[in-house]
Amino acid sequence: MPTDVAHTLPLDDTLTPVAEDELARVVRECARDRRAVYPLGGQTSLDVGLPARRRGLGLSLAGMNNIVDYPARDMTITVEAGLRVADLADKLAAENQWLPIDIPEASQATIGGAIASNASGPRRYAHGTIRDYVIGIRAVDGRGTAFQAGGRVVKNVAGYDFCKLLCGSFGTLAVITQVTLKIKPRPPASAWAWCELPSLEAADKLLATLTTSATTPTAIELLTGPPPDEEGPLASVAPARLLIGYEGTAAEVAWQLEQIQMAGRAEGVNYQSTGETATVQRVWSRLTEFSVPDAEGVAQTSALAIIKASVLSSMITNLIRSIQELAPTAAILAHAGSGIVTVRLSETPLGGLAAAIVRHWQPAARAARGNLVLLAARDTGELTRQVVWGMPQDDARLQLAVKQQFDPHGILNPGRFVYGSA
Amino acid sequence: MIAQRLPSLIEDLRRAVGSDGVLANRADLLVYECDGFVIEKSSPDVVVFPRSTADVAAVVRLANEYDVPCLPRGAGTSLAGGCLPVGGGIVVALTRMKRILEIDLRNRYALVEPGVVNVWLTQALKGTGFHYAPDPSSQGACTIGGNLATNSGGPHTLKYGVTVNHVLGLEAVLADGSIVEIGGPAEDAPGLDLTGVLVGSEGTLAIATKIWVRLTRDPQGYRTMLGVFESVDDATTSISEIIAAGIVPAALEMMDQGILVALEEAFQFGFPLDAQAILLIEVDGLEAGLDEQRDRIAEICQRCHAREVRQAVDAAERQKLWKCRKQAFGAVGRLSPSYCTQDGVVPRTKLPHMLRRIYEIGGKHGVRIVNVFHAGDGNLHPIVLFDERNPDEIRRVLAASGEILDECIACGGSVTGEHGIGVEKLEFMRKLFTPDDLAVMERLRHAFNPVGRLSPHKMLPTAGACGIEQRAPGRRAAL
Repeated sequence: MPTDVAHTLPLDDTLTPVAEDELARVVRECARDRRAVYPLGGQTSLDVGLPARRRGLGLSLAGMNNIVDYPARDMTITVEAGLRVADLADKLAAENQWLPIDIPEASQATIGGAIASNASGPRRYAHGTIRDYVIGIRAVDGRGTAFQAGGRVVKNVAGYDFCKLLCGSFGTLAVITQVTLKIKPRPPASAWAWCELPSLEAADKLLATLTTSATTPTAIELLTGPPPDEEGPLASVAPARLLIGYEGTAAEVAWQLEQIQMAGRAEGVNYQSTGETATVQRVWSRLTEFSVPDAEGVAQTSALAIIKASVLSSMITNLIRSIQELAPTAAILAHAGSGIVTVRLSETPLGGLAAAIVRHWQPAARAARGNLVLLAARDTGELTRQVVWGMPQDDARLQLAVKQQFDPHGILNPGRFVYGSA
Repeated sequence: MIAQRLPSLIEDLRRAVGSDGVLANRADLLVYECDGFVIEKSSPDVVVFPRSTADVAAVVRLANEYDVPCLPRGAGTSLAGGCLPVGGGIVVALTRMKRILEIDLRNRYALVEPGVVNVWLTQALKGTGFHYAPDPSSQGACTIGGNLATNSGGPHTLKYGVTVNHVLGLEAVLADGSIVEIGGPAEDAPGLDLTGVLVGSEGTLAIATKIWVRLTRDPQGYRTMLGVFESVDDATTSISEIIAAGIVPAALEMMDQGILVALEEAFQFGFPLDAQAILLIEVDGLEAGLDEQRDRIAEICQRCHAREVRQAVDAAERQKLWKCRKQAFGAVGRLSPSYCTQDGVVPRTKLPHMLRRIYEIGGKHGVRIVNVFHAGDGNLHPIVLFDERNPDEIRRVLAASGEILDECIACGGSVTGEHGIGVEKLEFMRKLFTPDDLAVMERLRHAFNPVGRLSPHKMLPTAGACGIEQRAPGRRAAL
């Protein structure tokens, strides 16, 4: 469910333009008046970032949700940014195609918002992230200038690649208005293999062997703590659970299940498996929704805070251990092959949330060559830039320089992203 | 630059990187006047060969001190003039920074210096079960730093993606000589994806000194096929049908009769010389799925009137086929003294139309055009043959090339899929982008490179591109 926008953002008003020129005009006026603009998609990721302090205008993309062009035989689609992800998926499914990115709350989330927040899930191991699919983009910068980059062909090196730059920029450089996506054929078969493990050490050992598995997993998922489902493959309460997702033709999936079970037997690991459609889809869905604060299932409660770490995949069990030391009841999901660890806290960690993050977990993530950020917290009182986004990156000065070029008056989603006060 | 200060700059550069790392005499500089795009030539004042990040930073600081342009260069295989030292200044040749610093299979990455030749990395990975996926046809010579600058593609990028899909992060020297780390071996660093915009920035934003690249698992098996067609139309229709059927081949390349003749002379593969077009199609992945994909592709080709679809019998034959394809441009020397190639892209469904237009345009201007290209991506490489001693022919070649690119734009495509804008296609940027689009790009460059120190006059026509006038097309064919 979307967070109540009125409680999250200090909005005076919300406008819903139906065309890019209208949207650009609104931003130009806001730039002139130095008025803050909060771009709004499906409002599913409003918890991400520092709390908004400046009052301003909500700029909803809900009125720009058309499919502009869908040449299915070219495997591309051009859509307005306000299109709901589920509607996009339905349209693609009718042609047996898909965008293989797991986006939580798809019936609510918009494609523009998913791009701006760099949404991802289990399938990123095989399919990459949304930046790998955006081949053309239109947007309005903080001056109110509409611009485009890329195009509608799958290979194109003309000009700077703003398609990548705007992925994960949280609306702070420009308001995305339209995108062209590269899409893929939908695989006909999907299955999960899973096993229960006595410890994180055992999980780490097994993960190492998967690096050179003869199979080609779509997802490699490691779970600890309260299970994210009451039944089926995710219901286990073993100290560590490993799930491997396979997709492809029926013959490819069947061969891989057989192969992984054979490899498991050689290592003394007992994999179970299922290709039953409803069960398989439920697992994909629960894993995709894991990062949603009040997602169903996990520990039967909404989370107090959600944390995301991105580290070397060989280091995830180290990181999980350091989280468990201060938060033994945390529910943890790792996209293990990609080194992405999502933590759902339902109790305050020992010493308090901010201290646990800054003094213990962020250093642990750095030691694992990565980062740790706070995606959502019920109590936003003690949030600082460092608690939410971690220590400034080495390229912080460049990031700010880019921000200032795109949004010289600092009106786009101000004060919430990595730039500090901008 | 002001001639009086040159000796002092050279002296300072020698102090910074060592005497053996500086070239400054006229004969030595000749090599660095251009890259694979030989129409325009401009001599640098000096070429330096740094061995470390600190060396590169010192060189850039000197470029600022002496107020001269500074241009990074890899192997110089760029086809669009990205390495043309417009306005002279310092060429920073990164070919001595050629160490593979780290290979981490568990975490699927390698850390390399920019001068590492593309194929060296894959050679270093042999036997590990991993490889580096982007495989430009020049991979035996081109560097990973250069690949990063141009966001290089290659035949296998149809399935595996281009360079940007395989770069995790980099260490770079900025225009002011400072050193910065952007991204890194772990995914999803918080903040803006500057790595994403640095890839393909043609040296205009920063000089990469270390690059983290993603490694890819080797496929379990391959099926490599040749589809033989009696008309180009049937071949291009097959391409469109294969993509539309939801098959993603690892590679899907087309060669027309013109190029086949040259290839056959050069490599004696046994290509049927009376065929009008050949498709080189490769699927890879799990053995369990390959025969099914092969059969579906063969069925589609046959439905599109292929005369024959044959499969490479073994690994040796597969390798020979790929050697022919990757060295195709080299074989063009058998057809004419000079050639120029374009790099336009169209939606895959427009390929039949586009190929017909290419031959029509060639006929209209009285120039011969042969084709070998990344068909599955819709990325054309029409090769226009000419003799550069014939000025009238050169005019016609230029006119034909321009008309082909205009047609790509009219089809909803782009003027460059993988070679870059460089200096060659600067004027086409105004046809692809509005003044507002270009102004936003200009501002991005300003954030990184405010005074235009790095690679001036490249990529953006608004960047004071003064007087790069195309006088003659293309490059001498390799002999």
